[in-house]
Amino acid sequence: MSTTAIPAGTKWWSGGKSPFNASYGKVMMWYFLMSDAFTFGAFLISYGTIRFSVNHWADPNHVFNAFPFAGHANLPLAFVSLMTFILIFSSVTMVLAVHEGHKMNRKGVEKYMILTILGGIAFLSCQAWEWTHLITGDHAVLVNGQIEHWGTTVTKNPWGPEVMHNGQLVATPGPIAFGGYFFGITGFHGFHVFSGVVINIVMYIKTKLGHFDERGHYEMIEKAGLYWHFVDLVWVFVFLCFYLI
Amino acid sequence: MSSAVTLQDATGHMAHDAHHEHHHHETFITKYVFSQDHKTIAKQFLITGIIWAIIGGLFSVIFRLQLGYPDQTFPFLEDFLGHWAKGGKLNPEFYYALVTMHGTVLVFFVLTAGLSGTFANFLIPLQVGARDMASPMLNMLSYWFFFLASIIMVASLFVQTGPASGGWTVYPPLSALGDASMGSKIGMDLWLVGMAMFIVSSLLGGLNYITTILNMRTKGMSMTRMPLTIWALFFTAILGVLSFPVLLSGAILLLFDRNLGTSFYLSDIVVAGKILPNEGGSAILFQHLFWFLGHPEVYIILLPAMGMSSEILSVNSRKPIFGYMAMVGSMFAIAILAFLVWAHHMFVTGLNPFLGSVFVLLTLLIAVPSAIKVFNWLTTLWRGNIRFTPAMLFAIGFVSLFISGGLTGIFLGNSALDIHLHDTYFVIAHFHIVMGVASFFGMFAGVYHWFPKMYGRYLNNTLAYIHFWVTIIGAYLIFWPMHYEGLAGMPRRYYDFSNWESFKMFGGLNEFISLVSMIVFAAQLLFVFNFFHSIWKGRKVRDLNPWGSNTLEWTTPLKPGHGNWPGEIPEVHRWPYDYGKDGRDFIPQTEPVGKDESTGH
Amino acid sequence: MSQHTISPEITFAPEHPSGTKKIWKTFWILSIITIIELVIGLAIYNIHKGEHPSESLVLFFKGMVCILTLAKAYYIVSIFMHLGDEVRNFIMTIIVPLCLFIWFIVAFLWDGDSWKNLRNTDAGSRPATEQAAPAAIEKGAKP
Repeated sequence: MSTTAIPAGTKWWSGGKSPFNASYGKVMMWYFLMSDAFTFGAFLISYGTIRFSVNHWADPNHVFNAFPFAGHANLPLAFVSLMTFILIFSSVTMVLAVHEGHKMNRKGVEKYMILTILGGIAFLSCQAWEWTHLITGDHAVLVNGQIEHWGTTVTKNPWGPEVMHNGQLVATPGPIAFGGYFFGITGFHGFHVFSGVVINIVMYIKTKLGHFDERGHYEMIEKAGLYWHFVDLVWVFVFLCFYLI
Repeated sequence: MSSAVTLQDATGHMAHDAHHEHHHHETFITKYVFSQDHKTIAKQFLITGIIWAIIGGLFSVIFRLQLGYPDQTFPFLEDFLGHWAKGGKLNPEFYYALVTMHGTVLVFFVLTAGLSGTFANFLIPLQVGARDMASPMLNMLSYWFFFLASIIMVASLFVQTGPASGGWTVYPPLSALGDASMGSKIGMDLWLVGMAMFIVSSLLGGLNYITTILNMRTKGMSMTRMPLTIWALFFTAILGVLSFPVLLSGAILLLFDRNLGTSFYLSDIVVAGKILPNEGGSAILFQHLFWFLGHPEVYIILLPAMGMSSEILSVNSRKPIFGYMAMVGSMFAIAILAFLVWAHHMFVTGLNPFLGSVFVLLTLLIAVPSAIKVFNWLTTLWRGNIRFTPAMLFAIGFVSLFISGGLTGIFLGNSALDIHLHDTYFVIAHFHIVMGVASFFGMFAGVYHWFPKMYGRYLNNTLAYIHFWVTIIGAYLIFWPMHYEGLAGMPRRYYDFSNWESFKMFGGLNEFISLVSMIVFAAQLLFVFNFFHSIWKGRKVRDLNPWGSNTLEWTTPLKPGHGNWPGEIPEVHRWPYDYGKDGRDFIPQTEPVGKDESTGH
Repeated sequence: MSQHTISPEITFAPEHPSGTKKIWKTFWILSIITIIELVIGLAIYNIHKGEHPSESLVLFFKGMVCILTLAKAYYIVSIFMHLGDEVRNFIMTIIVPLCLFIWFIVAFLWDGDSWKNLRNTDAGSRPATEQAAPAAIEKGAKP
């Protein structure tokens, strides 16, 4: 019954076959991602709820305005757009790897898996730089009438409302929840990227060893790809919630 | 697809790779410990659940001793609780720990893992006609993550500062600050880590259940030919997969607040005269996250009991289930509504009243599908040729408890009434009847009904009848009076009511409740004895289909091996509720529809 | 059929396009949407820098970014994750549960906003003055 066109009037639900024309592994991966979407959703919605509940929130354009090797230049959104493009591009190479897998082209899969892994590592490196920059940065904050210099951490937020102090505008401490949410959510996302890179490396090795040629299909690459695209998808929302609005 | 699927092909596919034939040469370890057979995993879940139920039930007996006899001492308590019961008097801190762990253990470890873990594993492949779960490997991991969670939770009972004691809902700031109470220290961390492991387990299990039901049904087993048990377990798994991750998020944020100094749930807190630097978070946020899981959790517990009771009621009434599609539809409606009503647990948190009114409306809507189910069960029984097997008694008991517990839900769903009744014994009575005892009844019904399939033996009937009558009468005697206590304003979680002028009058009643709860607990031990005794010494099952049931699990051999059917998986030709049709007592699902058979159900 | 060997549950081998045109087209769409988002982000930045930031204009722009993000999500899921090529039943089982997010988001943010009102008005009893002050300074403040 291996026809290529969808047989008209196929009784999808009658049993004895998948109602989705998909293997259980793929279905399970999709539902796992859906449940993971609720984990991320819960994080982002909590962040939104806390942000709605306070009068002042850090302005992302001030917090994230640095770029490596650019000194103190004020470049809002520049670095994060680089990160976004890296992730989109690694998504493209992943989907190309899946595409080569459908054609049973091992060399092609290997090439694109390498590129995807490199993209993931590049993204993680960017994130490491950004975290370091935020944690080690020092910003003048008016605390109890004294100027202190703070970095952005999970316990300190130097991005509160600005007040006049000795004829100068100085920031006051902002809601501490800001750092917690930023590091918590980007950290959780980064953890997903990291595990995605690990999965991709395993897939690359398995491809190299010819396991999928033996098996006769590259479905594992497809499932790893689903996970990788999901990581990209989450980043789209993290990008929206932390950097754009 | 070729119709001749041999056992070898099918089991090979089930284990992913056709060339691994690890069903031969089973060792003790692979057969009984790290087993990938869904039936063994189900038994592992059940037995772990039983052990947890004994622990959780014992906790309630201990704290009922305190509530029933606040002025007396029980020196034997000191013997095994040590400094938690100095001089035979329960330490107030430990009282809270007992209440907390009683809730945690029974809600999650018994009625979630023990109930749906057992019966989803046992019944799904057997009733949909599959060799095993979609992924036996992940299924095994699901049990072992549950085991790990159990170990962590048990370990938390033995730490010096005691287990978590902030209530089973672990609301911050009590749970977020180590200095807040004894139980907020390491016990709370262990609670959170244990629950995280538990969530991983339920996720792995749930994904497997959903995928198996969708992809692994045998030929002819269309969705509308599935037994209601499977539908119920299907919705249960969906609820778990979509709502447990939200609790995971909430628990992770709470762990961060506890250990990394973040302020997700903390703002403007003073502990022991010291102002904490935490600012900007909200303790109510945790309640939202918790109840986004917590409410679906109620249905995760209840739906499997509903499904099993539906099946058992129909089999033992020798009548088709009334309104099969309405049953499926109402379970679907309940599953959706379960996600939309969480804040009805939070009416007194300063919830915006306009938002609250939306939650009231959505909550009261649940009455509609619930009523449909109740009337369908009653009409299934109506004029049936009822066999009062122990399973049937428990299924009827389930319906009774679901009605009496459900009605008080309508009281509590109204925010205006809830403000008076919140955190009183009325709430205790409501949820113990509707989700605690009712789900236990569903579980007992399931155990009594499917025990012959699990172990090839029957449970002892006499003990079963004693178990049933003591439990149903006892449950009503324990929880019915609590409604009155609650209406009189008696708050839950109090250590000693004898100091309050307004609650002194309930002293005798509390003593009575404690007494009954001990008797009921003893009856449960009788069941445990019956269970383990019958595994080895019970009356042997001689008939492949002892209950005259239509579903597929009774077409397997007496004690099916891994792979369930020795030959081909049977094909399904009809729905599972053809009882008393065309003058025949029952027509199994595997029998093709006859030429002159009457149409319609 | 090579696909047939994946699993016996599969009824027919899904067709895969041989070219990569669709993938690259999606890449360009995603890039362009991201660039538009960045432009809007910078526009919001400049509005905030101005003398009298218009809150409603900022809100409008933020709404637009949200819609663009949803468009990006659609392209990633439908083209990159190949959900668009799946059987309709499957698409529905993925999309329908995600609708739960609507009430999830609305109720949470609604209550979050309500906490702010409670804080600013001392639980509704009287308008608090201290909290309003920094907000006022911040509005007129130049970064």
